[in-house]
Amino acid sequence: MKRSKNTIKVYLGIISLSLTTYSCAPEIDSFESSSGTNADFSKYIAIGNSLTAGFADGGLYLEGQQVAFPNLIAEQLKSVGGGNFNSPFFSEEQRNGSGYLQLKSLTDGQPVMEQVTSNLAYREAGKLTRYTSEIQNYGVPGMRVDLAYVPLFGALNIYFERLLPEAEVGAKSYFDFVTTRNHSFFSFWLGNNDVLGYAMNGAYETPGDPTTTFTSVTDFTNRYGNFINTLTSNQQKGVVATIPDVTAIPFFTTVTTARLKAGVEASSNGVYKEIYISTASGPRVATAEDLFTLSFPTDTLGKASSGIPGYGLIIQNPLHDRFVIDKDEVAEIAGRVNAFNTVIKQLAENKQLAVADAHAYLNKVKTTGISYNGININATFIQGNAFSLDGIHLTPIGNALMANLFIDAINAKYNARVPKVDATKYRGVKYP
Amino acid sequence: MKKLLLSLLLASPTLLFAQGSQVNTQSQKAVGMAGAGSALFIDEASIFYSPGALAKMEGNGIAIGASAVMYRSAFREYNSTEIHNTKFKITPPFSVFATFGPKNSWWKAGIGVYTPFGGSVDWGTDWPGKYELNHLQMRAIYIQPTLSFKITENFGIGGGFVYNVGLVDLSRSIPVTMADGSSGQANLSGTGTGMGYNLGVHYHLEDNVSLSLSYRSKVVTKLKDGDADFSVPPSLAASFPNTTFNAELPLPASFNFGISFPASSKVDIAADATFIGYDIYKSLDFDYADNTPVLQDTRQEKKYDNAFSGKVGVNYKTCDNLTLRAGIGYVYTPVRGPYVSPETPDNNRVMASAGFTYLLSDKWDLTAAYVLQQVQARTVTNKASGLSGTYKTNIHAPGISLTYKW
Repeated sequence: MKRSKNTIKVYLGIISLSLTTYSCAPEIDSFESSSGTNADFSKYIAIGNSLTAGFADGGLYLEGQQVAFPNLIAEQLKSVGGGNFNSPFFSEEQRNGSGYLQLKSLTDGQPVMEQVTSNLAYREAGKLTRYTSEIQNYGVPGMRVDLAYVPLFGALNIYFERLLPEAEVGAKSYFDFVTTRNHSFFSFWLGNNDVLGYAMNGAYETPGDPTTTFTSVTDFTNRYGNFINTLTSNQQKGVVATIPDVTAIPFFTTVTTARLKAGVEASSNGVYKEIYISTASGPRVATAEDLFTLSFPTDTLGKASSGIPGYGLIIQNPLHDRFVIDKDEVAEIAGRVNAFNTVIKQLAENKQLAVADAHAYLNKVKTTGISYNGININATFIQGNAFSLDGIHLTPIGNALMANLFIDAINAKYNARVPKVDATKYRGVKYP
Repeated sequence: MKKLLLSLLLASPTLLFAQGSQVNTQSQKAVGMAGAGSALFIDEASIFYSPGALAKMEGNGIAIGASAVMYRSAFREYNSTEIHNTKFKITPPFSVFATFGPKNSWWKAGIGVYTPFGGSVDWGTDWPGKYELNHLQMRAIYIQPTLSFKITENFGIGGGFVYNVGLVDLSRSIPVTMADGSSGQANLSGTGTGMGYNLGVHYHLEDNVSLSLSYRSKVVTKLKDGDADFSVPPSLAASFPNTTFNAELPLPASFNFGISFPASSKVDIAADATFIGYDIYKSLDFDYADNTPVLQDTRQEKKYDNAFSGKVGVNYKTCDNLTLRAGIGYVYTPVRGPYVSPETPDNNRVMASAGFTYLLSDKWDLTAAYVLQQVQARTVTNKASGLSGTYKTNIHAPGISLTYKW
């Protein structure tokens, strides 16, 4: 009997030993991160436009800033020697920044939006609360390659203005502002607005509005090249991104000719069936290849304009060029985007920079969509998860996937092992 | 403008009735030998392990047992530093076996109530696979009346009828964002029933070598009118109506061969080989009572292979009162790589066990056992969701049972 008690003790010992050895969670080999070769991530700065700033839902606000793709990249770079990454965040009290769009309701499946007007960050009309401490996220909504060299733009662009000390407003260009920061690594994503500003204006250059200029390939090549040469003057490394096709974003693909025609036909009891547009070769019927902007005011259709009734519904009163990108303009813009991207890729090759091919990626999101861990990501407005309520800028999950595109590019170029972002932590469009 | 039809795609919900959920704990004696011993043990639990052996019991008995199955999985997404663990959950499979019939007779009857499939995994709502699964709890309770006959002194045959009650409760995140920034959630729960049978023969050779063959049929469990509840933003409530669903869960058939022989007067060795017909699990289909453009009936491919397990154990009678056991086993997974999912992060597994039976008196036995199963690390990309990463699982199952004999 004594012996058996001892034996039980031995067995209990073995059991408790195996319990402690294996107890609780199983162990998985951990991820070995590495900064790879040549790249020094200790001081990363992000240069770019609204996408870099975290602009979303038609505004710049704290939640968007916090999930801006460069901020997500910076977080991941911490495991490979990345340092502090400050952003010009709005304060918690002024968290709604410039104000932004939110979905108020869905009425018969149609989104109804409203502007958030509380907790804004305006210090006076048209001027946002300043943020002039040292930062690493230099994203400025509306920034363009051509205007980056124009000091006056600091006085015109409210997002750039808030970053500048009083004395430098209108006196310092964006180029001078960002190239003097002793960076060791950079991300650079400019150029979108050099085509988008024109495209969003219906492929129409509004006289006197430089944000609608269609930047020429020569200008782009010189200025983009100068920017990159300056940023790499001390052999710094970085990642540049290509410019997406304008047809990849819901801003241009949601209000379609077919939808407008169906709406017109229904509301006129079949009297009107076509939409007429102005083109360089004169007015004509709109086809499926002509694009309308998301901001197109559908309620003006059929109204009188310049004394002529039936705006957009009869050939004598076609829609203004500003509201439509006709198929020739679509081709013209696509050609310009491709030319810019050729410049970007060539320059990156020469300077040994990583290339995040946002052009290819967003085209894939648009054409086939992406399945990410059980979420379908596509370019459909609102429910596609990728694009926020303005139809141009990314949702938080869109930013997370964009951060991963950049990280993939960095890893591939510099043999690094920067860990990826878990994009399932980030949301799509909020529903009421 | 903005005349838009919302069409959210709800990926198909998932369920498991897989290897991952099958932890055989019907008899703590067998658990102590890593699942071997169908030929060796002739007792109430033969109702489950070897119905042909039941008639060879001299008297009658009733055994009540339970295990505490602790299923611990970990996941690391490909190229991520974060490791996610399932929450600590204990599943308590139980078993009750009772026999009836005259002593030393040519026949014996019995009834078993046991849970051959069951499990509980809870990954939570904050992990990369949340759109596949948040939590899953399931149990299949088999009720099995059995009759067994001795054809000769050495040869027994038996069979039973199986009635199954299946319970399932699962949740997963839906990729729609609530006003507070969190994800929506689908909750599915239901019960179903199914029927099957088992058959077995048991044969004693003259030199105390025993052989057991048994077959358990598949049991197709039909879940009817389960509850499907959706937590979604109010503006999407019409697209995700709370409704009911039907689904079919095929529990696989298995064929078992067991052998035991004495190594000495005190030591017996037993080995079992089990073939499990998992290839019936081809897909999991959900049929919702109310469909909307976003809530469609779903079909999820499973394409399981058949599975096989081999177990060997030692039974050592130290003295009249105490028997000690140990065993090891290996299980080949039925789940193919692209179909590995959070409910069944399965792979081939190794098992090691120890246990004992202590005779408290002429009437009462106490049996306890502990088995550790290690599911080997597996790096996969799920075909449906694209979730890519490494899973590893440990299963701990201590158990205890009490037998009363008369």
